[in-house]
Formats: sequence, C-alpha cells, structure tokens
Amino acid sequence: MNAWILAAAGFALCLVPCAFVALRAPNVVDRLVALETAAVCESLALLVLAEGFQRTIFFDLALALALLSFGGGLVFARFLERWL
Amino acid sequence: MKIAVDVLLALAVGIALLSSIGVAAMRDPYQRLHFITPPASLSGLCVLLALFLGETQKQAGAKAALIVFLLYFMNSVVTHATARAHFVREKGTWPPPEPIELVHE
Repeated sequence: MNAWILAAAGFALCLVPCAFVALRAPNVVDRLVALETAAVCESLALLVLAEGFQRTIFFDLALALALLSFGGGLVFARFLERWL
Repeated sequence: MKIAVDVLLALAVGIALLSSIGVAAMRDPYQRLHFITPPASLSGLCVLLALFLGETQKQAGAKAALIVFLLYFMNSVVTHATARAHFVREKGTWPPPEPIELVHE
C-alpha cells in the first residue's frame, strides 16, 4: 500500500456522493452532472492507480475513459436536449 | 520529494472529495455544474505535478499530461452542453429569444 493507491481509494470514495445524486436526484440533468463528475474522478483514480501499480498500460485505460466520458456526456446532453 | 508527492496527492483527493460532496449538496443543475471543474482542473494538475515529481516510468509523464489536458479542455465543452440542455428543457429554445434580464439588487 503506497500513497498512490491510497489516493486512488480517495478518488473512488468520490463516487459515493455522485452515486447518491445519480440515483436520487429528481431532475435528469442533475443525474447527468453527477455522472460527469464521477467520470472525471475515476479518470484520475485510474491515473494514480497506473503509477501505484507501476503498469504503463493502465494509463491507456485512464485515457480511454477520459475520451469516452467526453463523448458520452455530449451525447447524453444532446439527447436530453432534444428528445426527453 | 516524497513529502511533496504525498501533499499533492492529498490535495488532489481533498479537492475531488469536496467537489463531489458539493455536487450532492447543491439544489439545481446550474449550481451542481460548477463542481465538475475543480476535479478536472485543480485535482488533475496536482496529480500531474505529483507524477512529474515522483516519476518512475518513462512514458508516464507524457501520457498523464495528455489525460489531464483532455480532462481540462473537454470538461468545459461538456459543461456548456449540459447547461444548454438544461436551459432548453426549461425554456424550450436556444439561443434565448430575448436578452436575459439581470437581477439588480
């Protein structure tokens, strides 16, 4: 257990309030905001996990999550704007 | 150097935790949207600095810089798109048909 893995655990802890909002918020846009916050926190968690485990390949996971959460957020926002 | 890395990581985690609690505490989407930016900018910068200070892998710095750069710049785009979606859902049109009245106190 080193500081990097502890930091990853801290970033994972950020998911709890986001999950609470995503599950309980009355407005669907509130849920989308919680999802976007969770995606940012998890990208950072994967980043520090890669350094903590000394595995360069994990950086690609963080990169893929950052890119896909960006695309997903945009698609969700456009979908909510037009059809829901 | 290890102390600096630990402090930067603690700062990054603290900012992210406070922001996620802020997301849960706020009342409407416009207020909640403000809390996406600190983890994407400040926490990302702290993690990047910590990686550069305590770097043991060759490619780590460049890839981490790319990821933090992506988070920083894409976050603003997604935030604007989300705010616009909420505005359209509330008001029914974009751009606003008339200048938004400012509240003078």
